[in-house]
Amino acid sequence: MFTTGSKFLIGASVVAVIATLVYGIGQGGVMGTIGLTSATVALIGLATLNALLRDSNVFADDSAPVEASSAAQFAPASSIWPLAFAFSGVIVAVGLISYQPILVIGLIAVLATGAEWAVQAWAERASGNVEHNAEVRSRLSNPLEYPVGGALAIGIIVYSFSRVMLWLSKTNTTITFSVLASIVVAIAFVIAFRPKMNPLAIGGVMATGAIAVVVAGTLTGLDGERDIPVFETTAIWQEEAILHPVEYAEGAEEGKHPAERICESPEEFPEADEDPSQTVAGKSGTFDVVLTPAGTLDFDVPGPLGDNVAGMTIQRSNATNIIFRNESDEHRRLSLDLGTDTFVVNDEDVVDRHQICTTLIEPGAAQLFTVVAGQPSVAFEGQINPNGPGGTEDDGLWFFVPGVESANLQVIVP
Amino acid sequence: MKYVTPTSPSTLVRAAKFATLAIAGSFLAGCAQNAPQDTFAPEGQNARDIDTLSRAVFSIAGVVGLITFSAIGYAVWKFRDRGQPIPEQTHGKPALEIGLTILPALILIGVAIPTVGTIMALSDTDDTECIINVTGQQWWWEFDYPVQDGCGGIDEPIVTSGQMAIPADTNVLIRGTSRDVIHSFWIPKLNGKKDMVPGRVHNLRMQADEPGLYAGQCAEFCGLSHANMRMEVIALDDADFEAWKANQLEDYQSPEPDTLAAVGEQTFIANCSRCHQVDGLTDGDGVPVIARPDLQVYSGAAPNLSNLMTRLTLAGATWDLIDSERRDLLWNDATAEEFGPLYLEGVQDEWLNEVDLREWLRNSPAKKPMYADPELLEPTDGLYRGMPYLALSEDQIDQLIAYLLERK
Repeated sequence: MFTTGSKFLIGASVVAVIATLVYGIGQGGVMGTIGLTSATVALIGLATLNALLRDSNVFADDSAPVEASSAAQFAPASSIWPLAFAFSGVIVAVGLISYQPILVIGLIAVLATGAEWAVQAWAERASGNVEHNAEVRSRLSNPLEYPVGGALAIGIIVYSFSRVMLWLSKTNTTITFSVLASIVVAIAFVIAFRPKMNPLAIGGVMATGAIAVVVAGTLTGLDGERDIPVFETTAIWQEEAILHPVEYAEGAEEGKHPAERICESPEEFPEADEDPSQTVAGKSGTFDVVLTPAGTLDFDVPGPLGDNVAGMTIQRSNATNIIFRNESDEHRRLSLDLGTDTFVVNDEDVVDRHQICTTLIEPGAAQLFTVVAGQPSVAFEGQINPNGPGGTEDDGLWFFVPGVESANLQVIVP
Repeated sequence: MKYVTPTSPSTLVRAAKFATLAIAGSFLAGCAQNAPQDTFAPEGQNARDIDTLSRAVFSIAGVVGLITFSAIGYAVWKFRDRGQPIPEQTHGKPALEIGLTILPALILIGVAIPTVGTIMALSDTDDTECIINVTGQQWWWEFDYPVQDGCGGIDEPIVTSGQMAIPADTNVLIRGTSRDVIHSFWIPKLNGKKDMVPGRVHNLRMQADEPGLYAGQCAEFCGLSHANMRMEVIALDDADFEAWKANQLEDYQSPEPDTLAAVGEQTFIANCSRCHQVDGLTDGDGVPVIARPDLQVYSGAAPNLSNLMTRLTLAGATWDLIDSERRDLLWNDATAEEFGPLYLEGVQDEWLNEVDLREWLRNSPAKKPMYADPELLEPTDGLYRGMPYLALSEDQIDQLIAYLLERK
């Protein structure tokens, strides 16, 4: 008959075949199907090999020792896995009626505890000696249990730390974890300079610390994160005016912001200008645009551009990083009118002006913003740009400063 | 008990023959004459600085290596196991250890001084006289010349690809970046590699001593057709460079009515102009035809074809637009004085490499591996990486070739 190990591997092979068929036909993922097929082939190969070798306990062609072999002796040991398996089933049930993450955790627990239970049951057929069987189980399971258990423990500790950090205020997080790190270093010094310290004491301290972290993480996680404000940006407000014009107009009537668009307004938008996103990534090769005290726009770029160049050339379809320096006496923003573009509003194409701008920045301050122009200047030749300087050369693309009529700078996109 | 694995004399002879062949092959590879990307044959000051430093460092490293391996070989031979008793074991020889620490440190300091000096000299771009933006994207290079007083004065931006024209004997500032992934710009005969990272601008000084053609290749793995992402620098003397600029900025010339090229213009508008810009091209109503590669291609760009036949390559400089005879003339036979006028003749009917151009138009993804299968564009929201298969008929290809031949 089939040995215990063969039954296990044959069963696993059948599950793998079913999983491959279900995934391959149902999902159609190429890589996943290849992976599952590989696993199936490997399991079938192992099952065949194991069936031939009869768990390596007896010769395949010698039927007499089968009944007398140690593998045929029944020596059950106490096991926690049936209980854990049942508990995992409860988690699955709770997950089905509550949250998907709990269901996923439950399914993983069912698989893990089921596998442990199966391995232990298999090991109990190894001999009539409980200790030997336990060693057999350990030899198979420990190479998986230790790294997975370690990763889980580290993950729980890290996750607990993150919950505590997100619960505390930014300042208190810095103070708390500086103190904690100092305590950890101090304990490490004590342990290092007292090598004969009782290992139980060290283990006790570490276990207490780990439990404290997990308890703190659980409590703070249940209480929730501190209030982290989501700052609006000028780009969001500019898009809002185009994509949701009705709501934008209602917001203006309620006094949330000026009625005009942010990139055309010298007024302050409280949410966008006072609390803008402060994320400025590491940039290099930036272009400078300066609002001078005389109310004109000057610019500088890397390289020998020369003094007789009136317009700034920026690349098409590429990010150009620009620093706006406000050297005037007023709060000002720099806006760029990139002509018209097509926006999708309620599944319909709407042609509107493509503008981006900085926040309103104080005198002497600077702000970086990134420009991407999708269309060349020639696309707008002959088209009046309402934000140009006026006169005969007001087509094309222009930097402008709302509220300062003399501040214009042509942008050339090849 | 000692276990000895006998080695037959024939095995040793075979190993010796193989080693001799491998070493000889390595040395003979250095004798190649047709090596356009030979980093040990500099033709510009920046590459010469690198070459000078490399030769000095390699010389020092060679001497150190020779001494080290000789000492190892001597010790292995001299003290080989002949059944003698193990010699007396001692711990520590302070004088020797200190000496063997100080000596390498001194050698490294000696190497570091010229290395740091050369690196700093190469990074200095204050003496440049001309700005060219170099932008990498999968799998071709775009070169654009912003409006500037440098480069002899440029009043309108110029955009080209594959081949970058520069004034000879002039320090040019390359402002490099990328539109998609990290690429690396490398013209071995003119300067070292410079990575081009999206969102950043990297400066590189480029200078060629004499007019000529200098080959390069993307030096940072960038995806499927990385090996097919090439570029060439064309150095021209001042007069020829002015002529090149003037030609690039000439107004668009429509094909003569009722010609194959005129039909090709409409074919181009219908099939190519969504991505490829031809400056000055208008539709039947006189409305400018503006390409929107940002709506079609992941990188947001496709080569500007306004003056395609003034450059001699296509598809990321992977294939020539000229035949092999013309290529030999330009690459090998032309003197520095002859090169510029010959290059400015561009691609003419007589020496057009129609085979590769036709194959490219017929099925570009089959000729150069690209992510252009519409069914596999989910990760890029339907945007292509590379040129898609356009299912053009042979008649349409004839029309396009006739039209493109006039883009000079």
